[in-house]
Amino acid sequence: MLKGKISQKTAKDFFSKLSLGGKIVWMLAIFGIILVIYRYAAGLGAATNLSDGYPWGLWIGFDILAGIALAAGGFVMAGTVHLFGGHKYHALSRPAILTALLGYLLFIFGLFFDLGRPWNLWRAIYSWNHASPMFEVAWCVMLYTTVLILEFLPVVFERFKLNKLLELWRTFVPWIIIFMLGMFTLAMSYSLAWALVMVIILLVWEISMRAGWMPRDKQMPILLIMAGVMFSTMHQSSLGSIFLLAPTKLHILWYTPIIPLLFLLSAIMAAPAMVTFEALMSEKILKHKARFDLLSDLAGWMPYLLGFYLLIKIADLLGRNAALQTFTMSPQTISWWLEITIGVILPLILFLSPEIIKTRGGLLWASTLVIVGLVWNRINVAIVGVIVEKWETYYPYWIELFITIGVVAIGLIVFKWAVENLPIYEHDKLSNV
Amino acid sequence: MKALLIDSTRCVGCRACQVACKQWNELEAEETTFFAGKGYQNPRDLSANSWTVITYNEVEVNNRFDWVFGKLQCFHCNVPACASACPVHALEKTEAGPVIYHADICLGCRYCQLACPFKVPRFEWNKIIPEITKCTMCGDRVAAGLEPACAKVCPTDAIVFGDRDELIAEAESRIRNNPTGYVHHIFGKDEAGGTCVMHISNVPFEEIGFDTKIPMEPILSKAEHAMKPIPYVLTGLGLVLGGVSWVVNRKKQINQESQTGKEG
Repeated sequence: MLKGKISQKTAKDFFSKLSLGGKIVWMLAIFGIILVIYRYAAGLGAATNLSDGYPWGLWIGFDILAGIALAAGGFVMAGTVHLFGGHKYHALSRPAILTALLGYLLFIFGLFFDLGRPWNLWRAIYSWNHASPMFEVAWCVMLYTTVLILEFLPVVFERFKLNKLLELWRTFVPWIIIFMLGMFTLAMSYSLAWALVMVIILLVWEISMRAGWMPRDKQMPILLIMAGVMFSTMHQSSLGSIFLLAPTKLHILWYTPIIPLLFLLSAIMAAPAMVTFEALMSEKILKHKARFDLLSDLAGWMPYLLGFYLLIKIADLLGRNAALQTFTMSPQTISWWLEITIGVILPLILFLSPEIIKTRGGLLWASTLVIVGLVWNRINVAIVGVIVEKWETYYPYWIELFITIGVVAIGLIVFKWAVENLPIYEHDKLSNV
Repeated sequence: MKALLIDSTRCVGCRACQVACKQWNELEAEETTFFAGKGYQNPRDLSANSWTVITYNEVEVNNRFDWVFGKLQCFHCNVPACASACPVHALEKTEAGPVIYHADICLGCRYCQLACPFKVPRFEWNKIIPEITKCTMCGDRVAAGLEPACAKVCPTDAIVFGDRDELIAEAESRIRNNPTGYVHHIFGKDEAGGTCVMHISNVPFEEIGFDTKIPMEPILSKAEHAMKPIPYVLTGLGLVLGGVSWVVNRKKQINQESQTGKEG
């Protein structure tokens, strides 16, 4: 009784101390959770506008496809810093890994209410259909989330000064990675020979490093970063491969044999934009000084990334004789043009204008456009571009919308908590993880 | 491999097959509504409780309007898109022909619905523990040596059950014996890599609601170029990433050594 009163009081105190924005975010998160409970009690039909014609909607398009693409910052930054010699970007890699981990955890949470029978999810561990892109997706989700947790653990160890655990982590991580990548290769190829090749390659690297033939990063196991890049490459592209099995349904503007490549490229392209967006928004809201010098250097890459993506997009349309389709009148064409202008052409112009990009406001806007364009692309592929029977239609039900908003709100709350309580932005320069 | 041959010229639109399907599979009746365009057709489309539907198509035949009936149901493809899509083999192509469903391992991801070019699998949207539903070609009856309920009950033999090869020969001979009475195509012989439910018709298939843009190869073939190279990409990445990090870190090491050397 007394205990209940105390916790009630602390909850009240906690809530009244929040800013107005904080209160709204908390209320949206709680409302979202209530709606998730309703979705389980009432079924998918009652909580969504999904139908047999449109079995996938906002949750797949936004929470899952866009969410995973926006988490690409994690592997792009980790790879840049630890594999490709971009050590100067080190300060940007921890927030990026945190975002990626949060993104994946929320994605799994999202998957649990989108799946009709989520309690069977674990069956993908033993029931293998390696021909299915969805099987690849399922494995990538499980394994890359594990990699992200492993990449994030040092932050926790550092915060609580658990040096012994950090030592254990350094010793065991490479062996865990070798096991995971070996199993993944086996599951994807059904071939012991391929799995063995993979294990041998990784063993050669690890032994060379331990023997001192190959330079070794004493703080960060290189195999862990490699695994992050490998699983992410497979995951981002396999989300595109999923739509290869819908040749008669997905609109010609998006249905292309190279859709896995386009998904990967656009996720990589959005990674610097997402890192920049987060750093500048954290600066505004959480008052963490952003490293504007580093963000400006990152922005220097954007014209190349955006330009290359645009080039491939155009070449693909020309190669498939689909370019003229962009000039027909249909909701799909309009949505395609909006996606390309808002998400690629406009930011390309902005990133090529030094006077705009050198200001915080300009950089924030240009990055936001890239992110909006990426989300738009995924929604186009998952919803707008899917054409079924004439009488079938889909727009998100309000419950779907508020569950999605609730998921984003939960992400914001956890991100804020982590930034305030864990060494994310400023950390011990000596530990190089 | 067992199959069904459905001949639109023999169908009288009695819908006994729809009723027999519901009876054998113990499917609930559904509330139906009028909708524009299709006259007597009822219901409009397949659903979780209607695994087969006779479509009523008003088509011009010999300069006058006529009703030509089509039949919606699972096509039981030779290489089913749904079974290719399913991450856990919850949908399975049996050697006998039918494509069957194992609810106990299904995740409810509904990828089968997206992948099926014939738009067949249905989801029980209003159940808390939902399943994917579709025609099973009466797998239980077939296993017991009986023919599927719809074929059994059809009064005009518009639906015939038998071996796939024999049914193709039968369809070809019907077309050969009445060349002006049929479109010279067996819908399902090659569509999506060939199916175990095949149709012949006296009017073009697109006029009775069939999608004639479905590719002639298995839908799975559309993803092979993305799935087959996975082990190559993985091992390639394993080699390249390790090599790059070796070179980059070695350079860094040399730089550091030369710097400390100068200082010393």
